[in-house]
Amino acid sequence: MRATRTDRSNDHTNDTDNNQQREFDKMFMMVKKHLLAASVSVTALLPIGAMAQEAVFVLGTNEVGIPSYNLLTAVNTNSVYPMIYDNLVAQDDDLSFHPYLAESWEEAPDGMSWVFHLKSGVTFHNGKPFTSADVAKFIEMFRSTESSYMVDAIASVETPDDLTVKFNMKNPDPNILYNLASSFMGIPDPDAVTALGDDYGITEAVGTGPFKLESFTLGQETVVVRNDDYAWGSSLSANQGPAKLARITFREIPEDSTAFLELKSGGVDALLALPTDYLAEIATDATLAVAKIPGQEVYYMPINVTKEPFTDIRVRQAAALAINQPEILANVFSNYGAVANNFLISALPESKIDPALTISYDAAKSNALLDEAGWTMGADGIREKDGQKLSVSLWTQNDSIFRRLTEVVQAELKAVGFDAQIQTFDSSTIRDQYKTGEHQLAVRSYFWNNADIVDWFFGADRLGYPNVSMFNDPKAEELRTKAMTGSKTSEERVANFTAYHEYVTSQFPYAPIYQPEQNMAFNKDRLDMPTEINGTSITGVVMVDVGVKE
Amino acid sequence: MLDYILRRVLLLVPVFLAVSVIIFLILHLIPGDPVDNLLRVGSNAEARARIEAKYGLDRPLVVQYGIWLANLVQGDLGSSIITRRPVSTMIAQVLPNSLMLGGFALLFSTIFGVIFGVIAATWRDRWPDQMLMGGVLLGSTLPSFWLGLLLILTFSVQLGWFPVSGARGWESLVLPVLTIGLGGMALVARVTRVAMVEAAGRDFVLLLHAKGLSPTHIRLRHVLRHAMIPVVTILALRIGWVLGGAVTVEYVFARPGLGLTLIKALAQHDYPVVQACLLMLAIAVMLGTLLGDILQALMDPRVRSALT
Repeated sequence: MRATRTDRSNDHTNDTDNNQQREFDKMFMMVKKHLLAASVSVTALLPIGAMAQEAVFVLGTNEVGIPSYNLLTAVNTNSVYPMIYDNLVAQDDDLSFHPYLAESWEEAPDGMSWVFHLKSGVTFHNGKPFTSADVAKFIEMFRSTESSYMVDAIASVETPDDLTVKFNMKNPDPNILYNLASSFMGIPDPDAVTALGDDYGITEAVGTGPFKLESFTLGQETVVVRNDDYAWGSSLSANQGPAKLARITFREIPEDSTAFLELKSGGVDALLALPTDYLAEIATDATLAVAKIPGQEVYYMPINVTKEPFTDIRVRQAAALAINQPEILANVFSNYGAVANNFLISALPESKIDPALTISYDAAKSNALLDEAGWTMGADGIREKDGQKLSVSLWTQNDSIFRRLTEVVQAELKAVGFDAQIQTFDSSTIRDQYKTGEHQLAVRSYFWNNADIVDWFFGADRLGYPNVSMFNDPKAEELRTKAMTGSKTSEERVANFTAYHEYVTSQFPYAPIYQPEQNMAFNKDRLDMPTEINGTSITGVVMVDVGVKE
Repeated sequence: MLDYILRRVLLLVPVFLAVSVIIFLILHLIPGDPVDNLLRVGSNAEARARIEAKYGLDRPLVVQYGIWLANLVQGDLGSSIITRRPVSTMIAQVLPNSLMLGGFALLFSTIFGVIFGVIAATWRDRWPDQMLMGGVLLGSTLPSFWLGLLLILTFSVQLGWFPVSGARGWESLVLPVLTIGLGGMALVARVTRVAMVEAAGRDFVLLLHAKGLSPTHIRLRHVLRHAMIPVVTILALRIGWVLGGAVTVEYVFARPGLGLTLIKALAQHDYPVVQACLLMLAIAVMLGTLLGDILQALMDPRVRSALT
């Protein structure tokens, strides 16, 4: 599992602290607010390329600049990957797993082997039939990638017949389904990868997905065309046959106000990621609509447990309870999204910890805890102890949303007697700064939809960054090991991770703040979007159901 | 003259070396250890040593610089950490876009800048001058990303004349060229005006008037020629500036180019790409200056005679 998260920090589905992009996006924020307000009367324009069954999508700003569609060399993937490649299993928005290229699967009771039964009649884009041998070759090739940790637990792959794959495991890994469903593990034709070498993923990409790669221009656009032979859609899609759209252009636009103006002027049909700031603007436009995508992001305040006064758990708890999540949701995020009361997104079963241990705003208790810890309220509203002020540093990154949020957090801490001094860092260097361990509090966020993120941010072997809380607790380590490697089945894994998450939360190394929702925006006169999105994002499973209005 | 050009080119060598040292050192001056960004978190010391050896980071700084420079001179800019492709290929792919944008922007600045400068100088302190110079002041002070968004709003969203963004066809080139070119035009117009006014006050102009030549002829054939010398210098200096200044414009208009590549590489800690982009920008400035000097020597006999 070690390998894991450098990828994670580069991957688009990942760590928001990697959102350096934001810095640039947000510097236009003030300007665009005014500009957009000025653009009330937008003349209706004919969409460019308004031909039947064709659509233009804009990739999210953090997906700009993908170097190739070769997932064996990829450090990050984008939303086009799942159009070209199918996975063995598909994950729904409730994070449950469903058949995809594998019709069904069985897990040995001791977790030491998995058998996958493949669908018959599946072919690659080059016409070659998809068989168990391809899966075996792919897993072997995957071992030399940056994301190889995903298949670490697989000792060997057997192929008893063309449509059966058996994984013999080194150790039980219930997370294998999650990995197999990830965009990193869409299955390419291993022979085509070898044959094309460096050109693979740039000039050609061969998968079994609902769309074929037509052309790819680095940093500009990717065009995919319908795979007319497609007849093996997931049960999550309403349409299991060929996609409704014949051709999709995915454009890369780094600046989101430009992307928004493209959508507004009809230049494109949809934005795969719409910043919250535009939701109000969309609501006033009769031609535009929003589709909700399951959220994966959590905002939180790490508390450095090794720095005075936060070595005292009562002070940590007091700081955590001072965060007024509902107020932040209403005033900073205009009630879009939800409050966070623990470390994980609500869709994860491991987020269901003992309600008594969840962290919710309680100013009275916060004040009482600080009194108990010996910090008495001073005349200036700042608490004191032994002549020392309760003054702490509060770090944040220079993206405008973080600055805004951090100022609110500062005010809320002030209300219970903390004097928090904001220090702002460039978002590309703040991680290096965390490694100095000088911070006391910080405001940050992450992107991930698996419980192993608790391990990532609180594991004792990663102090500084990613363990910004510098949390190193023997009991937590014990629970962590059990959760990471000691689970045989999925149920056990959920139970172990819930216990680990619960214990970490009870030690207050962080304060949860907010979980945003993600949205895509589309032109409803042009696109026919499914009413419900059955996937963790806009994947191929979702895209086969998207049509155009004639 | 050839001698002069040769000498100017040779002079570039020490400048290039100094620039390359600075660019090389950037990797070592950025806060944080670059190896940290390459390493998987939790990796052991052995993995660190392996990465350091792979990128030659275990050797003395001077040796590292020597190797880097030697490769550089042979056109090997290294491999990108993120895309795993040769940096030179990446640069070669985006450079034409940047050059085209920069070239047209420069052309636009030159033509309109000189025309407006001449008009303003001709009607000095009267309404055409005041109007033009007022507009020029506005043009030179507007931040380019804001101007870009304004142009998109007006010409793409409201009027629908040009596409909002992208790099497909000449239509998508118009707004970015305007955005970059307007600032340069303002500068050129101001310099032209001042130089014209200054040159018009010289004795030889009085003589030309005395000879009975028409004022328009004097203005365009003689005064303008003199006035062009500082304008050429300014333009040459802008060559590098236009490429660098295109960063925000490329960003706003979603045009692939050197600037966008640089921003992306910075965000991803892809140092070989950052170094290569900075080097390209530095070279553009250097070549621009060289070109300016040569043009000046060609245009101005006084400079030429001072050379020999």
